[in-house]
Amino acid sequence: MWPILVGIETEYGLTVEGRGATEQVDDSMALVRESPDGRFVGWDYRFESPRADLRGYVVDRLNVDPEDARYDQGRHRAPDTDVRSDRVLANGARLYNDHGHPEYATPECWSLSELVLQDLAGEQFVARAAERLAEKAGRAVRVYKNNTDYHGASYGTHESYLVPRELGFERLYKSVVPILVARTVVCGAGKTGFESGEPCEYQISQRADFFAERAGVDTLYRRPVFNTRDEPHANPGEWIRLHVISGDANRMPAATARKCALVKLALWLEGTGHSLEWSLEQPERAMRAVSRDLTGNGRVQLAGSDWTTPRQIIESLGEAASRHLDAGYPGVAEALQHVQASIDIFDSLASDGELAARQVDWAAKLAMLRAFQEEDGLEWNDPACRSADLSFHCLDPEEDLFAALVECGMTDPLPRVADIEARMAKPQETNRALARSVAVSRFADSLKGVSWGKLTFEMDGKPKTVSLSPEKCYARDMESAGTVEDFIALLEEER
Amino acid sequence: MTIRIERTLRREGSEPERKRGDEDGPSKPGVDQPKAPNELLKRMRQIDPDKARKYRQRSGQ
Repeated sequence: MWPILVGIETEYGLTVEGRGATEQVDDSMALVRESPDGRFVGWDYRFESPRADLRGYVVDRLNVDPEDARYDQGRHRAPDTDVRSDRVLANGARLYNDHGHPEYATPECWSLSELVLQDLAGEQFVARAAERLAEKAGRAVRVYKNNTDYHGASYGTHESYLVPRELGFERLYKSVVPILVARTVVCGAGKTGFESGEPCEYQISQRADFFAERAGVDTLYRRPVFNTRDEPHANPGEWIRLHVISGDANRMPAATARKCALVKLALWLEGTGHSLEWSLEQPERAMRAVSRDLTGNGRVQLAGSDWTTPRQIIESLGEAASRHLDAGYPGVAEALQHVQASIDIFDSLASDGELAARQVDWAAKLAMLRAFQEEDGLEWNDPACRSADLSFHCLDPEEDLFAALVECGMTDPLPRVADIEARMAKPQETNRALARSVAVSRFADSLKGVSWGKLTFEMDGKPKTVSLSPEKCYARDMESAGTVEDFIALLEEER
Repeated sequence: MTIRIERTLRREGSEPERKRGDEDGPSKPGVDQPKAPNELLKRMRQIDPDKARKYRQRSGQ
């Protein structure tokens, strides 16, 4: 087993009063530049390889959505680094413009409880930048933690899991895909209507309609359930960064933790030679079927003529993990608790759904919308239903219906504000994010480049690049290093 | 309940069609309706009902 470093990247929906999708890239750039904390401006793109495929080749180009290509026709754009407007924040996170969406990438975390707080810190960074942009522009600015515009455009919430290179594509695909499909029921964010496939009034997942392939490197068009991008952000000879693009953005912290917990357990099982024996026929089709069954019993077709259910897949994960994984290993007990929470949600869906509505976004939103319909005599095709759905994801306090649910006591309570603000200031774990945080907070004047796995300084007029190990516990002493030389010496210290 | 379906069924595995997403189809909700507090209902009624119809985004990743 190995400590799995996990991060979450969320692309936020964005609207600016009086402007539209044609201006969205400019507006997203402007928002990122209003970030209240952009300690280091710039990013070192040398180590990014979005066209590299885990299966051992590099594609010539990535597909783009033809609708978006039309938005850009005849428009002059600034150089790519200006468009992306990367900021490295004091907590080691990255904030930038990604295809017209402000994207917050959490600092990497070993623990799920920490990851959840860092994800919530991202909401605060983005919401505060929106407030500042609104004030500056004199226009209303809204940001949405969601994944669809309900009209055929999707934007992602991705998870990254660092895993040993020896696991390779075939083993990762086999171990993770059943979980990505099954976890939809216990992690989905919910959506009114459909954008592809079988018609429905409401479905569990925001993203399920957008998967057209089993596996592939594309992320903008004809997206795959299993993304094969090979961009490890660490020593490529040792590590793969499993880049999961199939999940939804969650407002509920417990759902955020749950979706990552289930994947972590599947990875540990595969890494210890205890594979889950599920082979799905067409995972992209299964995603849609699971998303459309609000009882949580959507049929998952297996290779051959057999089929199973999300619950059976999650139960098999829990049984295998309980039997084969060392419960004393850091993170295992925490992840196993989320399996039990998942089973409790399946049980709830089989009865009154009350617990599910407190603990998973799609069920909370469905209950809220049904109450709205009942009280006001609305039907699913009333535009007010979809607008209430959208407002569930809005981070503006005046519109945020998720926050209203929390205030009314209809969901489990959120973490303390003080705990979230502490994560905005710095990471609480001693992994490589701490090193990045100290670098941008204390030694930005000497920094020339930052990426997930490396820091480049200018020392005596020459560049000096230091690799950040994803396994290393960095010393808290770094925070009090007197000089950049002392800091680099601590970074390079063997521990 | 009357359900209006104006969209053409699309082949599963195909890309969602853009700019025509306002319609809904039949399905069976599975979560019981809670008693919504008045404050929550008030907040929902304050939302511009056309907000989602006007909401358009670029595709991201």
